[in-house]
Parts: sequence; structure tokens; C-alpha cells
Amino acid sequence: MADKNSRADLMDPVSIAALGRIEIIARWVVEGFLTGLHKSPRKGFSVEFAEHRPYQPGDDLRFLDWKVVARADKWLIKQFEEETNLKATIVLDVSKSMAWSGTPGGLTKLAYAEQVAAAVSWLLLRQRDGVGLIRFDDQIRTAIAPRGRSVQWRKIIMALEDPGSGKGSDASGALIQAAQLVTRPGMVIVISDLLVDEEEMKAAVAVLRGVGHDVTVLHIIDPAERDLSIAKTETELVDTESTASVNVMLTEVREAYRETMQVVISEWRDRMASCGASYEPVFTDQPFGTALRRAFASRQHLP
Amino acid sequence: MNFLAPFALVLAVAAAVPLVLHLLRRRTGEKVDFPAIRYLLRAEREHSRQLKLRNLLLMLLRVFAVLALALAAARPVGRFAGGSHAPTAIALVLDNSLSTSVVINGAPVLARLKDAARGAIARANTSDRLWLVTADSRVVGGSASAVRAALDRTEPLAGAGDMHAAVAKAAQLVRGGGFPSRQLAILTDGQASSWTGVVPLDGVATTVFAPALAPPRNRSVVSALAEPPHWTPRGAVRATTTATDSVTFRVALGARAAARGIVAPGEDIVVRLAPQDRGWLSGAVELEPDELRADDVRWFAVHIGAAPGVNADASAGTFARTAIDALAQEGRVSHGTDISVAGAESAKKPGVFFAPNDQVQLGAANRALERAGIPWKFGAARNGPSPVSGAGLSGVSAIRWYALEPRGAQEPGSADTLARVGTEPWAVAGDGYVLVASPLSVEGTDLPMRASWVPWLGEQIADHLSGDAGAITMAAPGSTVARPAWARELEEPDGTRRPVLESRPAAPSRAGVYFWLRGTQRAGALVVNPEVAESDLTRLPIGQLQSRFTGAEVAATDNAARWTASAFSFSGRRALEGAFVWLALLLLASEAFVTRAVAPKAE
Repeated sequence: MADKNSRADLMDPVSIAALGRIEIIARWVVEGFLTGLHKSPRKGFSVEFAEHRPYQPGDDLRFLDWKVVARADKWLIKQFEEETNLKATIVLDVSKSMAWSGTPGGLTKLAYAEQVAAAVSWLLLRQRDGVGLIRFDDQIRTAIAPRGRSVQWRKIIMALEDPGSGKGSDASGALIQAAQLVTRPGMVIVISDLLVDEEEMKAAVAVLRGVGHDVTVLHIIDPAERDLSIAKTETELVDTESTASVNVMLTEVREAYRETMQVVISEWRDRMASCGASYEPVFTDQPFGTALRRAFASRQHLP
Repeated sequence: MNFLAPFALVLAVAAAVPLVLHLLRRRTGEKVDFPAIRYLLRAEREHSRQLKLRNLLLMLLRVFAVLALALAAARPVGRFAGGSHAPTAIALVLDNSLSTSVVINGAPVLARLKDAARGAIARANTSDRLWLVTADSRVVGGSASAVRAALDRTEPLAGAGDMHAAVAKAAQLVRGGGFPSRQLAILTDGQASSWTGVVPLDGVATTVFAPALAPPRNRSVVSALAEPPHWTPRGAVRATTTATDSVTFRVALGARAAARGIVAPGEDIVVRLAPQDRGWLSGAVELEPDELRADDVRWFAVHIGAAPGVNADASAGTFARTAIDALAQEGRVSHGTDISVAGAESAKKPGVFFAPNDQVQLGAANRALERAGIPWKFGAARNGPSPVSGAGLSGVSAIRWYALEPRGAQEPGSADTLARVGTEPWAVAGDGYVLVASPLSVEGTDLPMRASWVPWLGEQIADHLSGDAGAITMAAPGSTVARPAWARELEEPDGTRRPVLESRPAAPSRAGVYFWLRGTQRAGALVVNPEVAESDLTRLPIGQLQSRFTGAEVAATDNAARWTASAFSFSGRRALEGAFVWLALLLLASEAFVTRAVAPKAE
């Protein structure tokens, strides 16, 4: 088992984020992540079995399906999707609600999400897959079409280093935009705190699924949002994106809130599942490797 | 339920704080950004019923906790079965008068009273305030141990004391103790003479213990006097007893027994003595001991001097000369020049002076009196006969006399009127003189023809003209006496001297003879004897004793155990602040539990 202290993907996100620039950290995370996959029989995420065809002289014997030869005495060659076939688009929520942390000095949801986006991008680019990026709040702030070229990494990193807008979220619009950027079926990874209109979001995901995209939604949640663990007893809580506020005795509503949050996560999971999308809650106190694993969990059945 | 500190109830106003906060829905919080507020609103909406119940429960727990603390701060006391009593100001009034020293069934009554008092003290706790007040109104206050120690030290008084004053003093103490629970616990032998009249209690609940012990028959010496108080040197001791059977007696003079004998019931003891001692002496008449020893002896004082030399002047006539001869034969006087018996025209102190036979000499007589420093003069002539009233002059008539007029302003008490005719003084005495308003002749008075003449003259010489002019003061133990103006020290029976500066000091608490000192010489006596009534051991029935006390709830009993049990019965209420503190802690613990129940659980 890999040493937790030597693998960047398993380190405390706050600690590792303080060590360097985002692209450096992303590479460390991915390196650690791949080290963890070293014993996997699979060679790559986009290298997927497609179909068999009859063997023809000159074919590489590495791709001969020996099991079929042994069982049926038929010489069949395994055919795979070509490695650059995958076009992935990361849809990143940069609204004001993402620029919040429940812990003083802790990572904001946005910082955490940007780190995850960078790591995913690097992992895909490392496998020569195409990666694009859409940043959105109440409108599209950045739209980078998926490419597998080396300069793509620099584009994504520069886009991620732009600050957020400090406005509300329009996730459904961003997702529609993502559908337009990727013309053939690919992979869409939505990274958001999902403080959006649930039905519009569901409709947008349904549209993406309708055109053949694999959709993975990473629900970024601060631990303070999960537990209402704000170090106050009596306070007036103010919404970061609107003027709504509520006076509350935190100790009195905390348990009810926690129960509600469990219901909310469960509802999102069901909502996305009904559209055929995968949904993973990601807490910002978890290592980046966990988020990275969840980004591909439904697709690759990673251990 | 009462409160020892009711002002602390204002703290109950603080109970309104959680109530107001609850009603105002917590508008005092600080603003904090929170993105997921939509979920919070949803949680409140979906759990509103549960949250309202919890809020109400928390509010009630906090309100009641504050109320319980406020009640505890007000130091409540209440009456409950069992447990300790409320803090009480209690005064034990112990009758330690002389009569309680009587031995009944092998033990003094006072010992029984002290045992009962110890039982009551044992029931006191640290929050009580205790005092011990004895019959002489002496007060010892403080902790139970201090009062118990004072109780152990308490001895019977030599006199009756004043139980009425002691009760009044005790009631004043407990009223001033600052406790709502107050009680007097009186322990007495129930002697009738101690509880004459009504005893006001001024609202202080009282328990009375008087043991049901039949008093024994008591013998006592109720009076003992030297007759006359100045012996020259002959005199007599006369004593009266309450003996109902023949009893032996002993008369002591100074350090020696002067006489012994047996006295029959109803008889006085009369012992004539001519001791060799001179000066002021103490004496005592003692009976054989009985159950009450303290009144078996009674003290007296006497001044013994040599027979004075008396000269019967010719101006006084033949009656005076024959009387002095008779007194000289008895040894009560001698022929000499120390004292003169003369007509006023020849007045020269000290002496006994009579009005002149001849009215012509009246002016000369008045001048002679003035020269001699006698503050009287003869005025208008009076003619009788008129009866003379005065000690030792029964049947004597004045036939011719002169009005005795004081010369100038006389100091009060500087002269005694020995006899009167009607309302006018007939014979007066002062420092070194006795002045008679009639001539010593058959035309002036029939006194010289009376049998009482010679004894009367002898008594005047002994009482007013012989030796010391000091007085004998009789007093009960602890009573207030008048100090002679010239006395600054008092010699105690054991010979020690102590200064006396007050003009009206308290008599010593122990019976005996004390001497007033002029310089270093004895010049008077203070004779301290118990009150005669203290020898009467008649007891009041318990019902009558209880009826003596008015103005408050009173419970009198002759049962020591019952009285001890009732020592704090009027304050059977116990302190409740501890219970309220516990209640407040319980409420706060419940509040913490309910609060923790809605707090985040450990991950």
C-alpha cells in the first residue's frame, strides 16, 4: 500500500494546495493517483474494447483474443476505441457561492474545485485525450473547446487562474454551452456546489445525455455546509448570492439541517440517476485523489 | 415558605431574559455568510414542529432555572417533615437563681435545667444563632459550642436575680438577630416568687421547661441584725428563721463562733455579746444545713467601739446625770468628756442637747448651736402636752417645746428626724449631735420619767455620737446600691480591695459582708444577703406558669425530653436554598442535554 504521506492525491487538500501553483499540484496529484493504479490490469481510461474482427496476416498478435482462440478455435482480433477519441469537457461553477469556506484559512469550494479540474485535465491530457473547460456563473466566463494538444494544458491553467465573478449560477446554460462545444459524444464533468435550480439542472443534464455524453456531476460541499459547523451559537446567516437571511440558534437547528443535507444529497443522486448521469458528493476536506477517483468511478469502475 | 433574603427575589426578573429572547426570535446574532441557506430554510420548514417544541422546552428550562436560582438566592425556608430546621435565633433563658441550687432527689435543680439546655443546644446547627441568658441577665452568645461551654460554667446565683428582666433581654436579643425564626427557650424551677405578674414576650414564640419536682421543706435565716449597729462594746444579734421545727444555730462574729444554740419554731434568735474586737466586723447567723444551703446563713455587720466617755452637764439637769450614771453602770458609757449631754446654751459637739429651761436663754442657745455648727435653731414656743412619735419614744409627751427650724440650706440626708410632735420635728440628729426641742425637765417633757428614757439616750449616744459615722447598707446580690460619697474602695470578704467608681454600683453577686473604705480604714459595710422571698420554694403549677407569659405562642412542659424536642419546633421550617440550587442544576443539566441533542455529533 502506498504511503499516505508520500502521495499527493491522498494528502490533506489544504496542506498540498499551499505547496505550489495549481498545475504543479495537479501533476503531483495525478502522479500519486496513477501510482495507486499501478496494479490495475487496465492500461488506460480511454482505451476501451470496441469489437472483434477476423484475424488478417500482419495483425499484431498482442491483440489476438487468445481466450476465443482456445475456446472456439476462431482467430479474432480485439479492436479498441482509438486513444484520442475521448473528448472531455469540465464544466466548472465559479459563482460567488463557490468562493466560500466554512473554516478560516481553509480552501474555498472554488479553490478545491479548480484543483480537481486541473488534476482531471492533466490526467486526461496525459492520456492524449481531449479536454475542454467551461467556467460559468450567471453566464459563461470561459469556454475552451476540448483539445488533446500540449498547449491545451496551459490554456486550461490560465483560465483556472482567473478569479470568479462573484455572481450567481446558471448551470443549465453552461451545460447547454458544453453540449454545443463538444459535437460528438464525449464526457462532461460538472464541478459545482449545485446551489442552482434543480429542475433546470436536471433538464440540462438530460439534454447532454440525450446527445450521448457521459455526465458526471461532482457536488462540491464544504464540511461546514454539511454539518452547519459554524463556530457561533446565535447568528444571522446571510446568503452569499442573494439578500436572503435567517436568524437562527445554530445549536437548535443543526441536527435538522444535517438530516436535510442527507436528504438533499440523496435527492441529487436520484435526480442525476434518473437522467443517466453519475453523481458524487465531494467534500472539501477530502484529499484531491478522492475527488479524482469519484470523477471517473462510474466510468471505469476503479478500485 | 418564607425568605431570609427576600430582596434577592428581584433576580427573578432575569427569568424574563430567555423569555424575551424566545419571543423576539433571537435578533441579536452576528451576521455570517452562508451559501447553503436554502437548505437551512428547508430544514426549519420541514422540522418546524420539532424545533418549536425544542425551543419551547429550552425556553422553559432556562426560565425555570433562573427562577430556581433566584429563589435559592432569596434563602427560602419552609416547613417540611423531617430534616433540619430553618436558621433560628434562639435564646436559652436559664433560671440559675438561688432557689435552683436546692437538691432534690440527689441532684440540684439547676443540674436538671442544664441537662435539658444541653439537649436543646445539641439540636442547633451552624446556621442558628444562640444566646444563653441567665437570671442576672448575663448574656453569652455565639456558636453552639461557646454557649454549651458557658452553660457548663454557669453556677447558681446568690440571690433571686430577675427572670422578668432576663426574659425581656432574651426577647430583645432574638428580635435583633435578623432571623425570621425566633424562639425563647426558658428553663426554670417555676418558683412562684420568680414569676409574679405577667411576662410580655413581644411576639417571640416561647417554650418553657419547669421540672415537676416537689420542693423540700426549707429552713432559712430571713433576717440577722446587730442591735444597735454600733456596739459600745456591748450589743446583741437578733435573727429570725423560717424553721418549722427546732434547729441548731451558730452565730459567728469575725472569724470566731460567738454563740451556738437551738431555736424553736416561731422564736427569734437573740444573742447578747460584748466582744473584745473593735472596729467593723462581719457576722453571720447559720442554721444546720438543709437541701437549700445558700439561705441557711445570713450575714450582718457591726461596728464595735469602746464605751464613750460621757459628761452630763449641769445645764441638762439631774435627769441627764442619773441616766449617764445608769448607762455607766451597765458599761455602755463611761464618765468622760468625749460626749456631753447638756442644754443647748452649752452646746459643743459631740453631744445630746436639750432646749433651755428658761426661755430667756433661747437666744444664747441659738448662738451656741450656731457656734457648734449645728444647722438648727429654736423658734416659737409650743405648749402641749402633745404625744411624741418616734422610735423608742412610745407614750412620751411633749409639754413645752420650741419649733425646730433649719438654719440655712441643709444637704439632703445630713440630718435625721428622730421624733415628731404632730408634723413638726421634736428630736433631730446629725453629724455629732442629737437635738431635742423640749427642755429635759418635767415642765418640758415626761421623757425622763419614762422607762424608755435611759435606753433611748444610750441608743442615741451609740448610734449618733459614738465612734464611726459610717453606714451599713443592706442589698441583694446584683442589686443597685448607693455608694457612700466618701467611699472609693470596697473590701471583699477575702480581704482584697477593688475600686468602686460608680455612684450607684451593682452589689456583689455573692452573699457576704463587704466594707466601704475611707482611705485605708473600714468606714461602713455593705451586707449582701439573698432576698427573703428566694427561700420560699413554692412552685407554680405548669398551667399557671404558662399563663404568666403573654404576647406570643407559649408551650410549657415539665417533661425534659418533650421540651428538648420542641426547642426548635417553632422554627421547624428548614432551609430550602440547597434544594432550589439542586433544582436549578438539574434544569441546567436538562437544558444542556437538550441542547447537546441538537448539536453536531462527533465525526
